[in-house]
Amino acid sequence: MSIVDLTSMAEPEGEAQKKVNEIIKGLKEDIPNDCYQCGKCTSGCEAFILTELEPHKVMALSKSGFIDELLNSSEIWTCVTCLKCKERCPQDLAPVDVIFAVKNIAVVSGKQIDSGYSNMLQAVLGTGFIQSPKEVVDRENNAVTREGLGLTPMKGPEEIAKLQQVLMKAAMETLR
Amino acid sequence: MDLDKIGLYLGCLIPTEQYAYELALREVLPEFGLELVDIEGPACCGAPLRHINLSLTMYLSARNIALFEKEGLDILAPCPYCHQALSEAKDIMKKNPALKEKVNTYLKEEGLEYRGTNEHFHLLDLLHDEIGIEKIKESIKEPLEGLNIAAHYGCHLIRPNDIPRPDHSEDPQKLETLLKAIGAKSEYYNEKLDCCGAHIFINDQESALTKTGQKLEAVQKHGFDGMTTMCPWGQRMFDAKQDSAGQTVGASLSLPVIYYIQLLGLAMGKEQEKLGLHLNKSPVDKLGSKEED
Repeated sequence: MSIVDLTSMAEPEGEAQKKVNEIIKGLKEDIPNDCYQCGKCTSGCEAFILTELEPHKVMALSKSGFIDELLNSSEIWTCVTCLKCKERCPQDLAPVDVIFAVKNIAVVSGKQIDSGYSNMLQAVLGTGFIQSPKEVVDRENNAVTREGLGLTPMKGPEEIAKLQQVLMKAAMETLR
Repeated sequence: MDLDKIGLYLGCLIPTEQYAYELALREVLPEFGLELVDIEGPACCGAPLRHINLSLTMYLSARNIALFEKEGLDILAPCPYCHQALSEAKDIMKKNPALKEKVNTYLKEEGLEYRGTNEHFHLLDLLHDEIGIEKIKESIKEPLEGLNIAAHYGCHLIRPNDIPRPDHSEDPQKLETLLKAIGAKSEYYNEKLDCCGAHIFINDQESALTKTGQKLEAVQKHGFDGMTTMCPWGQRMFDAKQDSAGQTVGASLSLPVIYYIQLLGLAMGKEQEKLGLHLNKSPVDKLGSKEED
């Protein structure tokens, strides 16, 4: 399995599926028993107001092992990562981190993810950055570039192939 | 301030489209005797890839810190999203030396080593805590009297508080203090900590723009003359996407949104073009006319 497979939407099979199952089991075990479902996270959730994301439910579902339901839900992708749930949890838990973990699992499980994310990954692998310098327009609608503004060219990674190679390996590792 | 030079780590968004922020940083900070050093090799901080793979975020953040560390430089990360990713990576590796070693085995392949000996700053703590309010006040030639500016911090700049952040997570005040230092007023408003919506713009534009529009509408209704940010993501939503945000929430928005460093430059008497003011899409001209009233 490589990072390219990670976003190719292919359902893992055999050994790869075993690994995914292990990660899912690990997530369930990693979540402490301390959430008493007070709902404070959801009451302050910036996404809840608009998209029905309920962080306290994410906590309960993950802990109870209903991770597949979460992996197939669209709500996990509506978290705006404001981090208020983590900040305000009276039990010092972090629903936002569980949501990130579930999204990461959705990716290794071959679930379909928004092309915006896979494009961003491809850009980082190809150039080191999520996007390259753009031509923008000023308030009078004149086209403007980095160079045109007298800004020096971006100094990105010198050996992009090397970075790409290391990133591919690092993605398979648990660096957290 | 001991700092006379600092490594400039711009991340992705500032050097690829938020040129006004970069122009103003390069124009204003040297006035305080601070040399901004560009180095070869930085890449994305990894924060935007958290949704896909947390290990990539960790590796990329550690890599960027290590690049500046190799040059013996502290870091200025003017993007809160980058700053928070660097802070988090540093915190995790400090608490978990075994993990640090693991990250280093990968870094070694790129000829790098993370030791964690350099500091990193955001513009907020650099101005408020390092350069200091007194020096900023001394630099002012044209105080922005008569302006009431809403402060927008950006979520990642102040949260989460289990890792070091430049200001308080629920009641940040440094930006207001900096606004007062340049002669402006900055009143409290209930929506101050509301999110700009930037991070779901990639997959749910309507929800993102709704968040943007709701906050802008509130700020406008409160009667502020403008809003200031220290975040390229927030600025992109509130300034560049203000028209679409207004259409999304059905409001007629006309609120000047400006980087704090641009405001500081104006108060220092800098030329507008050198601060990239022509690149702001929101009606920043209104700030000048209001000031003359």
